[in-house]
Amino acid sequence: MSELSELNKTPLFDAHIALGGKMVPFAGFAMPVQYKLGALKEYSAVREGQAGIFDITHMGQVRVSGTGALAFLQYVSTNDVSKLAYGQVHYSALLNEAGTFIDDITTYKIADDEYYLCINAANRVKDVAHLQTIAADFDVCVSDESDDTTLLALQGAAAQAALQPLLDSDLESIAYYKFAQLKVNGVDAIVSRTGYSGEDGFEIYMPNSSAVEVWQQLLENGAVPIGLAARDMLRTEMGYALYGHEISDAVTPVEAKLMWITKLDKGAFIGKDAVLKRRSAGAEKRLIALKLTGRGIPREHYNVFVDGQASGEITSGMFSPIAGGVALAYVLPEHAETGALSVEIRGKQVAAERTTLPFVRSNVRR
Amino acid sequence: MTIPANLKYTKDHEWVRIDGDIATFGISDHAQEALGDIVFVELPDIGRELDAGEAYAVVESVKAVSDVYTPVAGEVVEVNDGLEAEPEHVNTDAYGAGWIAKVKISADTASVELMTDDEYTTFLEE
Repeated sequence: MSELSELNKTPLFDAHIALGGKMVPFAGFAMPVQYKLGALKEYSAVREGQAGIFDITHMGQVRVSGTGALAFLQYVSTNDVSKLAYGQVHYSALLNEAGTFIDDITTYKIADDEYYLCINAANRVKDVAHLQTIAADFDVCVSDESDDTTLLALQGAAAQAALQPLLDSDLESIAYYKFAQLKVNGVDAIVSRTGYSGEDGFEIYMPNSSAVEVWQQLLENGAVPIGLAARDMLRTEMGYALYGHEISDAVTPVEAKLMWITKLDKGAFIGKDAVLKRRSAGAEKRLIALKLTGRGIPREHYNVFVDGQASGEITSGMFSPIAGGVALAYVLPEHAETGALSVEIRGKQVAAERTTLPFVRSNVRR
Repeated sequence: MTIPANLKYTKDHEWVRIDGDIATFGISDHAQEALGDIVFVELPDIGRELDAGEAYAVVESVKAVSDVYTPVAGEVVEVNDGLEAEPEHVNTDAYGAGWIAKVKISADTASVELMTDDEYTTFLEE
């Protein structure tokens, strides 16, 4: 385990310590895995009507500007950026020429010549290098704003009520996967109605200098600090993919069930030919959702069997207080829909069944 | 954090209470606190013969899976079935409702190194 002193710290490091945050290394940052309340109660706060506040400043932000911004993003990302309206966000991916994932991202359209990308912390250096290499052939400027930006997620039914007092405009006007550039505590920020929890809520991008005050005010407005452990529970219950788990440079959108963000009819993009080939050849494995019917907790890397035959492994698994032992797993394509499922837990086969996503009802505001 | 004086402790943070030839096992308050919220406990089978130091149970927290080791060798005579439905007792009452198993101590038994409460306190401070 890396020494915490060698890790990057977000502007909220001291605030996490003051709240009893148990700090762990995560994507090169010292981040709270949980606070005094503990993972289960933090999870419940978000699922059961409160507002949870998450420091996700480790994530990266990249601004793409210039007259070639649209053409560039159409070429480097999989979703159809031409369909984005001003103030709209969409989920997308960066693929390599092999059609496998460099990263999954969200893209914000600020103007015809200006977009904002949110990328994974662990992939930041790789993503920025890739984007800058490709940008050389377009009339665009790619700037990595990660070091200057604090990103908070505020999730749960009470999120809007907790955030509204800090703003100069009405949050009600921001619909799901929409954003606004507005002032939070009088400082320019981007606020989107997005998140990773399956609850209503927001993600707030602001300058580092605003972080401590905004965090403190949100706590005063009743928000509960939430660590990485509860965050992972919330996202896994929704079946949301996480880079390094469901998606990686070993799988294409065909395997990862992410063809819905891969628009083959929009013209050329990096990885398109490989994805087309993979689609016609057939997926090498398929992502399924499963639920244990026997006792136990399915965990990442546990082997999955179908009709007694090794078929694949779990990519994310958990104990869900609502749904029980649930997991996402890759299995052989012929096992995606049929055959008796089991998960090997400490040498024993524990029965499981296929289920649909999300594992738990989503309360996002559609 | 509590460390009751009537129990013995191991370096792996298990506790053991010996009453005649019966030993009751669990994990220490320090251990449960370090693990965080316990969401699953796998209990040993009744009748299983345990060697000192052998993994006999598994506790799972939200994020981690941990083996629990046998402090004193013997045969499992009782397990805390209540933990199947309420594993959180390991967190809320580590030395009481959070007990895991009872063994009948073998006559010629060995045990792992056991510490008194004072020794365990010192061990935790080191």
